[in-house]
Amino acid sequence: MALLAVDRLTKRFEGTLAVDGISFAIGEGRCVALLGPNGAGKTTTIRMLTGLLQPSSGAIRLEEMKPGQDLRAWIGYLPQTPAFYGWMTGREFLVYAGRLCGLSAKEASARSEELLARVGIGAAGKRRISGYSGGMKQRLGLAQALIHRPKLLILDEPVSALDPIGRREVMTLLGELKSETTVLFSTHVLHDAEELCDDILIMSAGRLAEEGSLSGIREANRQPMMSLETEGDSRSKEWLEGWLKRLPEGFEAASATPMGARFIVRDLETARRTVIRELADADVRVTKLEVGYTTLEDLFLKAVARS
Amino acid sequence: MKQWFVLFNKEWLEILRSYRILWLPVSFIVLGASQPIATFFMPDILASAGNMPEGAIIQIPAPQPYEVMASALSQFGVIGLLLVALSSMGAISGEKASGTAAMVLVKPVSHVSFVTAKWAALLLLSVVSFTAGYGAAWYYTSTLFDSVGWGEVVQSALLFALWLGFVGTLALLFSSLLRSAATAAFGALATAAVLSIAASSLPFEQTWNPGRLSGLAAESLNAGAGSPGGGQGAVWLTVIVTAAAMLAALAAAAGSLKRMPSND
Repeated sequence: MALLAVDRLTKRFEGTLAVDGISFAIGEGRCVALLGPNGAGKTTTIRMLTGLLQPSSGAIRLEEMKPGQDLRAWIGYLPQTPAFYGWMTGREFLVYAGRLCGLSAKEASARSEELLARVGIGAAGKRRISGYSGGMKQRLGLAQALIHRPKLLILDEPVSALDPIGRREVMTLLGELKSETTVLFSTHVLHDAEELCDDILIMSAGRLAEEGSLSGIREANRQPMMSLETEGDSRSKEWLEGWLKRLPEGFEAASATPMGARFIVRDLETARRTVIRELADADVRVTKLEVGYTTLEDLFLKAVARS
Repeated sequence: MKQWFVLFNKEWLEILRSYRILWLPVSFIVLGASQPIATFFMPDILASAGNMPEGAIIQIPAPQPYEVMASALSQFGVIGLLLVALSSMGAISGEKASGTAAMVLVKPVSHVSFVTAKWAALLLLSVVSFTAGYGAAWYYTSTLFDSVGWGEVVQSALLFALWLGFVGTLALLFSSLLRSAATAAFGALATAAVLSIAASSLPFEQTWNPGRLSGLAAESLNAGAGSPGGGQGAVWLTVIVTAAAMLAALAAAAGSLKRMPSND
């Protein structure tokens, strides 16, 4: 069952269409990644979902919401760079957030302790937020988004600003959370999406370029692929350039760099034989030859390039 | 309502932690006390200035106590207004710029509560500070000159507090409309200046003009002069118009915040 349904959501900023009539649904209990290059409209979409931005047109509906209810009560939101009152302690901010969501003083206090420990800043709870590091603020931001046990947790680039260790820890935390609630998070890092998500939405230039379950999309777009890299000496370069111009039947260049290229091929066996023979004949200095299937990254690049 | 008090408590805690609860009343007390003291010692100050020709005789008529209180009010009307505008100029624009407004407003919080809780806390701070300052002026006036009656002082204090509250509300409104805190303070002070200059210099009756309030407060100190500013009815009209304008300003501030809870 769909928890959230978005229908032809559009946002126009003085002349430019930031989001152009996108429609999608998020199933209850799913973990959804909103992917796209910078400037694709991910943050604008998320800000409309959270009510921070009025859509130019279109509708956002939560399935269980009755007319007249406040959408915001159901959503927990962590912005790209969470902001806090520096003069409050971490614990005070969580209690404040909880009480604003309608928890009683006692409930808010108990929940704050629990969440501080959960996101791993239990010891820093009594310190002023002005002294927190970026990673600690991100964790506190996650805790305040969870304080009222939201039906839908929306995270805008939750790990982009963190160092590798902080990133690892937050990813682990998200992995735990996705079994408890529905999660929508935006990212431009494919690897994060692949690691966590059930479903993906790929945005490009304000439109949805691709949507569906991760495994379904992977299956539907799985194509035999070869990737070739050379040492980059002049002869190899020359050969590669020439060969790209007279690609044999069944090959299609997906991307190329001066040192190498990626191909989508029709039949792996024939392609492998052809390429190895060509390489041997031309005496190309190969450093890497990979034969396999397209990854999500290929799909992502294709989807983004298409629109 | 419970949520409103949570918001109000946060604002008040911020006022406590940023020590505004100390510096604003202290500034008002210094301002209020300095006026009667300076007036009282003016002849001595002039006499010891040293650049008077030999044998010059200075005669300054001792001012009436209500005149001393009125001059304290005029101090509050300039520097006091500036302090009030400065203390509330960044209330909303600051939260919008830092992103904390967005953090709060993605929770199920009413925009009107968000604005009015801030407003109530700032108003309370201004009124406490003004009361302390005016109390100091009253104390020194009664000690150094002569006493001024309770009734007159309370009436003038209420009228002047309304004027301060009006200017503070304007600062809050501009703070939600404009990005820069300094522009918000300027906008509020400029509006206040235009209104009070209009009230004192334009030749026609302006019973509606909130700019009249500071003048009314000063006039109502003089017990002998009868009821100020064209009678009780006219004073009430000014008070009602001012209160209505404050409500409208709050509604506009909440509306503006709802349209744009953050700058980007």
